[in-house]
Amino acid sequence: MPVILVLDDSATMVMSLSHILKGAGYDVETGMNGREGINKLNEGIKPSVILTDLNMPELDGIGFIKEARKISGTRFTPIIVLTTESGGRKRDEARAAGASGWLTKPAEPSQLLSVVKQLCPTK
Amino acid sequence: MAEVTEFNERLVCAILAEQVVALRDRMDAGATFDLLWRTTALLSWLSGLLSDLSRHTPTLNPILERERAEALTEISEIRHKLDELAFSQAQKQDFARQIADCVVTALERMAVAEMPAGTSFSSQDLAQLYISDDQRNLHNEIVTRLNG
Repeated sequence: MPVILVLDDSATMVMSLSHILKGAGYDVETGMNGREGINKLNEGIKPSVILTDLNMPELDGIGFIKEARKISGTRFTPIIVLTTESGGRKRDEARAAGASGWLTKPAEPSQLLSVVKQLCPTK
Repeated sequence: MAEVTEFNERLVCAILAEQVVALRDRMDAGATFDLLWRTTALLSWLSGLLSDLSRHTPTLNPILERERAEALTEISEIRHKLDELAFSQAQKQDFARQIADCVVTALERMAVAEMPAGTSFSSQDLAQLYISDDQRNLHNEIVTRLNG
């Protein structure tokens, strides 16, 4: 089963995203900030897609993307930013760091799944 | 006199910051979400059970069979709606929590005792804390209104 790594400092968002993704046939790994995400990657988890929030403590989304792109296994892994930020400057910053796509909250479960399924179809 | 006023303002900011923290902590809707997930899990289980019952009962009464099919459709629809509701509520809660975080940070900075006298926390400083365009747009509206 393909693995999706979900990073968000809101426990409710993590639960909600995990529920939707598991229901669509994905395995889900989670972290509450960018540092936990990097730790998961260093532990050897190989996600097919990464969903990350931007505003998180310890290591934010942009910092996470920059560090994740330095890890050989995730250099080309699709990273989708899911955030309340819709501003162009932040978006440019995320893209420059290596983000592959962007979903602005509030998003619909169908929008989220459509993006994830395009990047990583389930059988 | 000015120093007393300044101290009082800092005290008010410190108290308000703590009160918003308390408000933010009360926004936690973990129990509601837990109930939502358990309900959707139960509906999945019921749906599977109804399908299994049908498979193991080849001579099912046609009326019961029709009702079973209708129940499965209804369960699927409700599960879909519950997923949407939970996701939408989770995002709203997250957004409210982040706005509360922003207010707490601003109040805490305004309450800092070491801030040199005469310096203040400006609206530009506040704008640096925003996490969404909705906040920035509201900020700009207020600045325009008060300057107008």
